[in-house]
Amino acid sequence: MHGDDFERMLEKANANILDAVELGDSEAQAAEYRRWGDLLNRRGRIDEGCFFLTQAYVLALECGLEYADDIQQVLISHGRDRE
Amino acid sequence: MFYGTQGTLTEVQRGIETARGLPNAHYISDDVYEEERDVLLFANWAGIGLGADIPVPGDVMPVELAGMPLFMVRKHDNEVAVFQNTCRHRGMILVEEKCNLRGTIRCPYHSWSYNLDGSLRATPHVGGPGRNYDDNVDRRSLGLFTIRSHVWRDIVFVNVSGAAPSFDEYASKLLGRWREHEQPLFHGGPVSSFAFDVRCNWKLAVENYCESYHLPWVHPGLNSYSRLEDHYHIEEPGHFAGQGTKVYRQIDGDKGERFPDFKGLGKFWNKGAEYIVLFPNVMLAAQRDHGYAIILLPQGPERTIERNEIYYGFDPEERPDLADLVRRNARLWKGVLEEDLFVVEGMQRGRHGVRFDGGKFSPKMDGPTHVFHRWVADKMHASRANASNGASAPDA
Ligand code: FES
Ligand SMILES: [Fe+2]
Repeated sequence: MHGDDFERMLEKANANILDAVELGDSEAQAAEYRRWGDLLNRRGRIDEGCFFLTQAYVLALECGLEYADDIQQVLISHGRDRE
Repeated sequence: MFYGTQGTLTEVQRGIETARGLPNAHYISDDVYEEERDVLLFANWAGIGLGADIPVPGDVMPVELAGMPLFMVRKHDNEVAVFQNTCRHRGMILVEEKCNLRGTIRCPYHSWSYNLDGSLRATPHVGGPGRNYDDNVDRRSLGLFTIRSHVWRDIVFVNVSGAAPSFDEYASKLLGRWREHEQPLFHGGPVSSFAFDVRCNWKLAVENYCESYHLPWVHPGLNSYSRLEDHYHIEEPGHFAGQGTKVYRQIDGDKGERFPDFKGLGKFWNKGAEYIVLFPNVMLAAQRDHGYAIILLPQGPERTIERNEIYYGFDPEERPDLADLVRRNARLWKGVLEEDLFVVEGMQRGRHGVRFDGGKFSPKMDGPTHVFHRWVADKMHASRANASNGASAPDA
């Protein structure tokens, strides 16, 4: 993917997240943050990726989603959290 | 501040023949209200809500005890816990309304997240963006403050100071007196739950509930089957006070239907019923076929929310045939309890009379009220004595 395309998609992601916030849909927010966190990390943009994953982690915890633990493991592996 | 020709606590502590009631300041002064909050409500076991408020795991409900923010939670192990409703980070209120939580309790400010057992689970961005730990923020020591709690007769009691004896010890005399009633209670559902917002100090509600002296005047409707001479005083100095009747009559429906009795009650309860205030703020009724609890939630020196909640020995959900009677029973009690409101509000206004001296007890009729006043006076006196001892302690 072209860098500019990616930035555009990132903006779209932000819009999606805001929609989810508007709807009070925390699960959708968590999923969107997680998707973009993973993508950014894969591109080596770890600071941004872990920022997104942190948002996803906390919302997933709030929703009681099991994948919260998986996100925490990723954060830990990047030195961004501890047990 | 000038409160007029006031009696003193020492005068309250005398025998009932010569005692006076509590001085006006105990009903209208902000300072005394706060002192009593600490000494009477926080240092003892006060009621704040019901197990029925939070029936399923994950349920949380915020509640204030005399202004102190708390929340009740039903944990995953089905036990009830109470926490101070204040985030350990910047002190934001955590739980704003009654709801069911699927996961953690997330602070709405910076999203520090707590488990239902109060432990701090996540501290997002606390070490900078995307960094969720900081060496100076020890999550293990930053759980929510647990408030000591105990559930009895489905009432959630708290001891905010943490220093009272165990609830079982604190209430042992009442637990013993009513041990036959120690059995499952079922809340009568939404129709059996009603609240009054009353312009009076919470203690006046206690005092009025304790006594039977007012029955023929304030509740003339009760007269036909519950005469004054069929009532007796209940006095357990230092613990509780109230009244009992020897002619309790069950409510019955159009077809003569009645509520099933609690199981295995002794003969006394065929016609006996008791109405007791467990100090400080929970007013209870024990009867053969239903009971109730009234929890007093002080809202300031001159305002109180009274939560009235009726309970049965059977599950009303399983007896739709009794639904009408359950509704009628609630209406009946609501009517009776409403009759008391003008009295407690009137006594509140009366306490702005600067010449009121605490009043004069009838040694024959006001015993239970005096037991309560004495409890208040003893607690306040001891606390003040303690404070002044501390203040005048020698340096050495
Ligand atoms: S005040 Fe609760 S997270 Fe900051
Ligand atoms: Fe009354």
